[in-house]
Amino acid sequence: MATSKAKSRRSTITGISVVTVIGIFVLYPIFFLLQAALKEGDGTIEGSTGYGFGNFERLPSYSEIIWNTLQVSVVSTVIAIIVGFLIAYILTRTNVPYRRGLQQLMAVPYYVTPLLGALAWGLLGEEHSGYINILWRALGGEGAIINITSPMGIAWVMALFEGSVAFVMISAVMQSIDPSLEEASQVIGASRFNTMMRVTLPLVMPGVLGALVYVFAEMLGSFSAALVLGTPNRFYVLTTAIFLMITQYPPRIPLAAAMGVVLFAVMFLMTYLYRRMIAGRSYVTVSGKAFRPRPVDVGALRWVYLGLVCAYIFMAVVLPLLTLLYASLQQLATAVPSWTNFTLHHYEVALSQNAVRFAIRNSLELGVITATLGVALTGTISWLLHRTKLPGRGALEYMSMFPQAVPRLVFAFGIMWAWLVIPVPVYGTIWLLLIAYLTVFLPLGVRTISGVLLQLDKTLDECGQVCGANWFQRLRTINIPLLRPGIMAAWMLLFIGSVRELGASILLVGPKSQVLTPAIVDAWTYSSSEVTAAMALIQTAVVGTVIAIFMMLMRRSELKG
Amino acid sequence: MSKASKTLGTTGNLIVPSRRNVLRAGMSLAALPVLNVIAPRSAYAQSGKTTTVQGIETGADVEQAEKEGSLVFYTHDSGAAAAAICEAFSKDFPKIKARYVSLQTGSLFSKILAERGAGRYEADVIQFSDLGTAIDLQNKGGYAEYHSPQQKYYSADHLSHPAGLFFWIAMGFAGIAYCTDQVQEADAPTSWKDLLDPKWTGKISVKQANSGMQFTVWYELRKLYGDEFWKEFAKLKPKGFNSRVQVYDRLARGDDYISSMAEWAGYQLAHQKNAPVKFVAPKDGLPSSPMANGIADKAPHPQAARLFTDWLMSEKGQAFYQDNEFLYYGSIRKDAPAMPGGLRLNDFKLLVPMDMEDFLASRKQFNAEWNQMLGIL
Repeated sequence: MATSKAKSRRSTITGISVVTVIGIFVLYPIFFLLQAALKEGDGTIEGSTGYGFGNFERLPSYSEIIWNTLQVSVVSTVIAIIVGFLIAYILTRTNVPYRRGLQQLMAVPYYVTPLLGALAWGLLGEEHSGYINILWRALGGEGAIINITSPMGIAWVMALFEGSVAFVMISAVMQSIDPSLEEASQVIGASRFNTMMRVTLPLVMPGVLGALVYVFAEMLGSFSAALVLGTPNRFYVLTTAIFLMITQYPPRIPLAAAMGVVLFAVMFLMTYLYRRMIAGRSYVTVSGKAFRPRPVDVGALRWVYLGLVCAYIFMAVVLPLLTLLYASLQQLATAVPSWTNFTLHHYEVALSQNAVRFAIRNSLELGVITATLGVALTGTISWLLHRTKLPGRGALEYMSMFPQAVPRLVFAFGIMWAWLVIPVPVYGTIWLLLIAYLTVFLPLGVRTISGVLLQLDKTLDECGQVCGANWFQRLRTINIPLLRPGIMAAWMLLFIGSVRELGASILLVGPKSQVLTPAIVDAWTYSSSEVTAAMALIQTAVVGTVIAIFMMLMRRSELKG
Repeated sequence: MSKASKTLGTTGNLIVPSRRNVLRAGMSLAALPVLNVIAPRSAYAQSGKTTTVQGIETGADVEQAEKEGSLVFYTHDSGAAAAAICEAFSKDFPKIKARYVSLQTGSLFSKILAERGAGRYEADVIQFSDLGTAIDLQNKGGYAEYHSPQQKYYSADHLSHPAGLFFWIAMGFAGIAYCTDQVQEADAPTSWKDLLDPKWTGKISVKQANSGMQFTVWYELRKLYGDEFWKEFAKLKPKGFNSRVQVYDRLARGDDYISSMAEWAGYQLAHQKNAPVKFVAPKDGLPSSPMANGIADKAPHPQAARLFTDWLMSEKGQAFYQDNEFLYYGSIRKDAPAMPGGLRLNDFKLLVPMDMEDFLASRKQFNAEWNQMLGIL
């Protein structure tokens, strides 16, 4: 009994400390945001005359923008989830050729910043000057074959780049499925399609639903594609409207905060639905029974699958990168190449900027620290949510989802106000960015690790306990090894997420804490699309190298294990 | 490229009223409008002794400034521009590490107010893209008083009122630009009113309401042609962009045919890339927006801030603002050298807002109208 008492005391202490940290990180800035959203007056913070619901009452006049947001978010989420699920299935469950290489390539669209994707597709698919349309007309076609600035075009780009996270989240879950369940289905006569729909899909449901909620939220808060591709067509979504309100003088922060609060309410509802959907069902697939993940032999179909994955990689990785490379090597990016237009000047400009060189280093350091601390923090939260009887677990889950629900640009204001008044010297330093990243990436980490944790049979841990292993031994020898795919996926997602983070960083960078993505946006705004292309490619190369090293180390440790 | 050919090339693509015509029209730098502002003008109040370092006369205690060792520059300009300015200054004063924070004017203003509200003083020198924001900060007591010895090279009209709080560091101005692949020279507009031709519907670009320069264009043309001008203009369904680079990139590619918000600085960059774009200086004048630069109240590095300000105001600093590819602004300094391409500010007929009270008060109307015109409400 003494052990169980000690155990419950320990989990209570851990629980209280985690809740406190999350409370400070999440609720404290949100308090400032709510306060801002309720401010009345001339639309500025400074000119506020009191509190009321005036900002919310003004929102119905923005119904067209809200409708636009829903339209692109729903379409892009549906595309992203279907594509993510299919590719995750192909790459984790089937014997498609070149599996490992393709898996690694699949991570590229995620670390290619959405801004880069939007820029590249803008060059490719603009109605008049898009390379694809120019080629189309050169081949005798008329008008435009593709218009990337249309709502569907924007949703397509969002799905390709923001939606690639769905693949990572779903495949982490799929890797942990016992293939004998699928084999059993096929043995009793189910077709491959039926097996996928009736066995694989239900088993990965928590992961897919988690990814769905996460991706939808990501789309609601998505910014780059709508900014780059939507504005030329006078097509605005909530985030671009918020951006314009915040950056104009005088800034209309209260109205922007009210819009943020609306997004927040929608997300709150989604989290509630997600919890309701998975409540009371068991998704345990990793149990004491031994299994080796074996891919299913899909016969000749594997070549079709290979074609599908290659087509996706071509559109999300190869084509955008080649387009940007081509643009970055020209004085003025045009579809028709000419030798006199060729230059390396944009790379010289990009590399000569000291600020960019510091920014690369800061971004990488921050990425590693955010990912490492983030995995520990979100792992603990997932554990508390799914493995303890901690009172208020539900509240903890909602709290950790909050940052996802507020567009980062707006959330950054909350974080800025919150940490300005705290007498801890983090404001203006790289540590404030770390705090911001840990906060905004809580939902991503918690989702990814929880998805895997839900599949893990509790009895494995209890076996260890019966055999006399203490908490730490069980963690080290049972739980962490089993959770490894989830933890690795979460580390990678957090690392990449923080290196390419934009919304929160843009306001919080200080004179000594420049990071890379705001520098790229800055180049896009003020320098030229050619310099921006060069900088984005440099960022992609640097991040790609780090990821390759990480993968190599992982494989080596796997081999050792 | 030799300077001569560069000059020829620039003017080759540029339709500028001849200098004689402009002067005949009575406009030159000396005739730049006088600000009719809230406070009365004061004479220069030069205080303390000055020294000359690196060819720059300064009122700062240079030894103390070097002891402070660093300074922080808050600017609306791009990171690339800010980094270049800081680097150029640190080259002259290697013991002072200049760093920057770069944000659009609206966000920069919010950040400064939030910091000051919390009793934190991070900024040493602050630069805004338009005078309105600077006067707002001045009214909130945000500037420290410093009378630079460089002030004698500036007209009293181009300093804050009273002098010593901020100065007009540079002048941005905008005209019309069009894509030569899409528009014949004969069809190109020569005045602002030519833009109202329905043939430009859906083919014309402007900037978003967050642009200080766009506000100035709106204000000046409204003054010239009344509210009717913008009502007619709105019927053309213009597209709004966030930066001059986007405006020129789209013109260069022929996605838009024409822009009624063609900044000279952006044109210089497009011209440098051999983009098929021509700049038109409308005969009725070019709306111009001065940028304001001053030392922050309670600056953490006060002497370094003074030295930096003197450097910015000096001929060297001003030449840097005119020639750097991320800036390309015109200098308002009395003895400023020519801009790239050989032109000077007084070769253009500039329209600068004069009644600051009216200018500031109309911002709200502009934001509302402009956002509505661009479909953001």
